[in-house]
Amino acid sequence: MADVTQKSPRRFRLRGVKFLGGVLALYAALFFWREAQTLTAMRFALEVLEEIVPILFVVVFLAGALHYWLDPKKLARHLGEDAGWHAWLIALGAGILSHGPMYAWYPMIEDLRRHGLRDGYITAFFYARAVKVPLLPMMIYYFGWPFTLFLSLYIVLAAWIQGVIVEMIERRSGRGFWSEDEE
Amino acid sequence: MKSEERSYRRSLKNAALGIAAILPMMLGIVGLVGVFRAFITREMLASLFTGHAVHDTLIGTLAGMIAVGQALVSYVLGGELLGQGVSLYAVAAFILAWVTLGVVQLPLEAEVFGIRFTLLRNLLAFLFTIVTAVASVWSAQWLM
Repeated sequence: MADVTQKSPRRFRLRGVKFLGGVLALYAALFFWREAQTLTAMRFALEVLEEIVPILFVVVFLAGALHYWLDPKKLARHLGEDAGWHAWLIALGAGILSHGPMYAWYPMIEDLRRHGLRDGYITAFFYARAVKVPLLPMMIYYFGWPFTLFLSLYIVLAAWIQGVIVEMIERRSGRGFWSEDEE
Repeated sequence: MKSEERSYRRSLKNAALGIAAILPMMLGIVGLVGVFRAFITREMLASLFTGHAVHDTLIGTLAGMIAVGQALVSYVLGGELLGQGVSLYAVAAFILAWVTLGVVQLPLEAEVFGIRFTLLRNLLAFLFTIVTAVASVWSAQWLM
């Protein structure tokens, strides 16, 4: 396993340009097929963009602060190879408290991963996001409090189990299960 | 102090560059979200359910995977489905898959975290969504 506390130099490279081109081509094709619906799709996309822009600013600020304040060696110790149960609590708590679409958090998580954040914690973080604290009253209204209570508890439990499974698989594969598709 | 300020500025710049690098991919995902929301309607999703609990739980998970939008919308839609006689197992799987699984964001997740991690994470999330949904309904029914 590579020394996770050492940052590899990263060259700036725009990712997904072809993918964006494909999506724009899809819009062009759909426009000729269903003009009104395509315009609605564009409006929805703009709404989503409006929603995630403030979150991206928060992510930039948080990632910058983490970069600046946290010693990579300390971070690797707290959320890396030798981390204990408190790391699971951090991952699950952060998942529950995080807001906005999952993909808005990818850059920050990717950055933390480069500093040694383990994949099990990432898995737990992403699944624990299913607990939406501000929406709990709404869920109780629609589905009742027993269901809401058990669903929330089991989501956290499932997030932790998934994280543990990922850790086990990674450990068994020895050299790192994900090494092939990493830069 | 001056070097610290420079260092903090550099940290912010690095973070901003990290986001800027995946901006084309993120804009593509946002575009796809718009297409999915406009072309996959609530009625289309509701029509997938048949009334059989096991079948509907699987359909609920798959429908939640392809649906996009605020979690709140999934609760409203889930409430409507319950009113139409769809089982709570299916509705639970649907609202859980809505927030934990996302076909639309798969390309970005694979680009950022690698294909293997993305596949394993989503496979686990898929299985655990069904298990969690069933366990939640069982537990709630046991309590009531």
